[in-house]
Amino acid sequence: MARIYEDLSLISKRARITFFVLLAVVAVVVLYYWKLQVLDHEKYWKLAEANRLREVYLPPPRGLIMDRQKVVLADNVPSFKVSLMREMVKDYEVTIDKLCSLLNLNREELKSRIERYRSVPAFEPIIIKDNLKLEELAILEARKEEFPELRVEVEPKRNYPFHQLAAHLLGYLQEVSLEEMKEEVERKWHPGQMVGKAGVEKQYDQILTGKEGKVIEMVDSLGKSRGEVDRIEPQKGQDLVLSLDVDLQKKAEELLQGKEGAIVALDPRTGECLVWASSPSYDPNLFINRFSSEEWLKVISDPGKPLENRIIRGLYSPGSIFKITMALAALDRGLITPETSFYCSGSINLYNNNFSCWFKPGHGRLNLPEAIKNSCNIYFYQLGYRMNIDTIAHYAGLMGFGKKTGVDLPGEKTGLVPSSEWKKKILGQKWYPGETISVAIGQGPLLVTPLQVAAATACVANRGKRVVPRLLKTESTPPAYEQVPIPPEIFEEVIEGMWRSVNDGGTGHGAYQPGFDICGKTGSTQVISQETAEKLSQQGEQIKKPHSWFSGFAPRYNPQIVVTVLVEFGGMGGQTAAPMAGEIFKLYREKYVRQKSAEGN
Amino acid sequence: MLDRRALKEIDLVTIGLLVAISLLGLVFVHSAIYYHASQFVWRQLAWLVLSLVVLFLFLLIDYKIMLSFALPFYLLMNLLLLSLLLFGKLVHSTKSWFVLGSYQFQPSEITKLAIILLLARVFSEYRDDLMSTRAFLVSSAIVGVPFVLTALQPDLGTALTYLPILLGAYILAGMKKKYVIIMLLIGLLTGYIGWNYGLKDYQKRRIETLLSPGQDPRGSGYHLRQSRIAIGSGGLTGKGYHKGTQSQLRFLPARHTDFIVSVIAEETGFIGILGVFLLYMLFLYRLFSTAWIAPDRAGVYLCFLAGMLIAGQFLINIMMIVGLFPIAGIPVPFISYGGSSLLANFLVVGLVLNVRMRRFAFI
Repeated sequence: MARIYEDLSLISKRARITFFVLLAVVAVVVLYYWKLQVLDHEKYWKLAEANRLREVYLPPPRGLIMDRQKVVLADNVPSFKVSLMREMVKDYEVTIDKLCSLLNLNREELKSRIERYRSVPAFEPIIIKDNLKLEELAILEARKEEFPELRVEVEPKRNYPFHQLAAHLLGYLQEVSLEEMKEEVERKWHPGQMVGKAGVEKQYDQILTGKEGKVIEMVDSLGKSRGEVDRIEPQKGQDLVLSLDVDLQKKAEELLQGKEGAIVALDPRTGECLVWASSPSYDPNLFINRFSSEEWLKVISDPGKPLENRIIRGLYSPGSIFKITMALAALDRGLITPETSFYCSGSINLYNNNFSCWFKPGHGRLNLPEAIKNSCNIYFYQLGYRMNIDTIAHYAGLMGFGKKTGVDLPGEKTGLVPSSEWKKKILGQKWYPGETISVAIGQGPLLVTPLQVAAATACVANRGKRVVPRLLKTESTPPAYEQVPIPPEIFEEVIEGMWRSVNDGGTGHGAYQPGFDICGKTGSTQVISQETAEKLSQQGEQIKKPHSWFSGFAPRYNPQIVVTVLVEFGGMGGQTAAPMAGEIFKLYREKYVRQKSAEGN
Repeated sequence: MLDRRALKEIDLVTIGLLVAISLLGLVFVHSAIYYHASQFVWRQLAWLVLSLVVLFLFLLIDYKIMLSFALPFYLLMNLLLLSLLLFGKLVHSTKSWFVLGSYQFQPSEITKLAIILLLARVFSEYRDDLMSTRAFLVSSAIVGVPFVLTALQPDLGTALTYLPILLGAYILAGMKKKYVIIMLLIGLLTGYIGWNYGLKDYQKRRIETLLSPGQDPRGSGYHLRQSRIAIGSGGLTGKGYHKGTQSQLRFLPARHTDFIVSVIAEETGFIGILGVFLLYMLFLYRLFSTAWIAPDRAGVYLCFLAGMLIAGQFLINIMMIVGLFPIAGIPVPFISYGGSSLLANFLVVGLVLNVRMRRFAFI
């Protein structure tokens, strides 16, 4: 069997060579390991760290929003949310199916939500349900082994303890949109983060939003946490103290209950707004939910437009309120003196048109203060007859009409002050002097916001010093005034008329409060023309009442508060708006003036 | 049957290296599956002891007697492979396993032994300096049949481990150097270039499921990427035993089998890898060096082919875990976890020991 003398040298040589070739190949492979482990070590070390460490973002609690007496209007409550970590998802279809049955989600909504965030880096979790109920939390906790791709977290959720109170002022939060994330990259938003979308919440979003914290935790390949490595606590946002007064605000909203309109009150010395009520209102808590399409639809489809902040976005004819501006203009231009009088017979024919006074029998002969007190149309038609539309526009501009007041809220509208230039530009037509007549009593194309009226009233109260309305309480810095180039004596003459209107049986007597020197002016703006209204009422049909205005201040000397009331279709200003303003003045006096004088004693 | 002189010649150095490498494997299997290590480690230890016992029994039989049973043994193994294909149950999504109670047995492992024996037997009579076409065809067929049967299971990974044996046969029988080099180059280049540059991801995934079925479905790039991260992050000195984040936090797939060397590289660094590779090369040298002191042609073939089989698996594995070769489910002999593979590889080494202890002429 054995072949002892066989010559094996050839195959033995082949075996030897093969082994050395193998050795050489292994040597090359070793060199490759050297490159990987020693030369490229840094890179792979970082990758390994990135593998095992996960950063979890901790949302910072938003700063509180408080009224001037530190009553909390917006705070935070803990709430649970569940997010999907897309890195851990193996099969979306399977995961989506399981999630829908687990959490009772709408399949299409979940899918579109995942689709929407496709462009966001995969390490950013997507929130798929928030405001978790206890039973949902229990289910998730019990089955967490099954769903390594889910993450349940607690987050501070915005809460408005007074619900609809001052909703338009406070605004609301909603999920940051993809567009915002792209536009403002520097704010480093995370998907699903709540951000101020209206009101103060939007205006001061950067201040209210704190600094995010993060947890660095060790995870295994299944995404399970194996403990925290590092933790940076989030920093709460700054608190905001508003100039608002909750008591006055509550009163104002009570007065507006069931009506559509607005009440704004501000301190003419500083511009601080004390009341900011727009009706109807809504509960901003409803918007904090990320998935509340039904409630959202209900609110936006409401014909009363509850979302609309009427104070800065509602555009109305000022009506007789504008007579203040007319009077100032006429006095300043020297067209009249306070004693100049006109005769009111109830109607007047100008430019071959018949214009009538609201008071059919006519006021008889009256001078300026009496004309303001009685809100006589004929008197102001006479002024309009003697004035150029551009002169009126100039004075309206001085009083702040036709431009933003500059209040610290987003979305303010400018309104409209017609001029010959405006008409040419917009309609391509010449301005007819006849049109000036209706502008003279605040009708025509003239459009103002309630806040503009309040600011103009503050300017009158300050005898020509214009302040910018503001929502934050000022501690010490005196506001920057802008002096209107009209002598203070002229303001005194107008104020005399406004005082008589409230205190001497004028149209504004509804606002009268004993012991408080209120000066004000009413306004009633016809929504349809007088002739149409008369025709309709003759036919026995229900006619829409005019919008009802009142704007005034108190006390007459050293004024402390301006109140402007607008009630849509509220009827005559003296009947509806003036008594409402009176209530606000009354409460203000009880709270601030009498208390002070009592302290003084 | 057993000669006393032969018993004295048992190569304790090789056995020592073998046991050392196996224990090293055990140590890192323990680290790789630390969280539920004990049963794996005990089971592997039991296999190691069993393999050693079987190895000693195996040495009692003269390899020349084994050679005379080479053909029936080879036929039996092929029959087993065929019957598995026809009647086998799917385990880990392949039909590679015979299930006996709680133990599983993989005939494709023992088939390696049969192939080596039959090739040695066939070429023991072959004295030409260069390989004839007939020799080429016969040797190719001997490897080809079990290759196809195993690949159909489907277990292309194990089937691939047969190829180094065939290559060894070609080399020894005197295939022209030109052809050997061409074949090697084609093999390596299609592997490397095709994998890294030529194939699309889904194609890779398809091949991958062919090569190592039943694995993590997270896709092709994932395993290699995690393995490279594990190895690279190990650095020069490693992260320490049981401290490899990639393995301990389970980012590495198949940590205790195909990627056990990645675990070693992560935890002991380049120095550790160098040590392991040196130890392994020393061991391989003992196998190959037996080929050039073997007493007869069959002995040379046995040792060389056995060496080629072990070296081939080792080389493919250490190349695939860094991306120099496609990820094929090929474990490292003696280091990776796996009972029947350990036993089969012990027997393959047993062939070499057998030749070495009987290398002196009997009168």
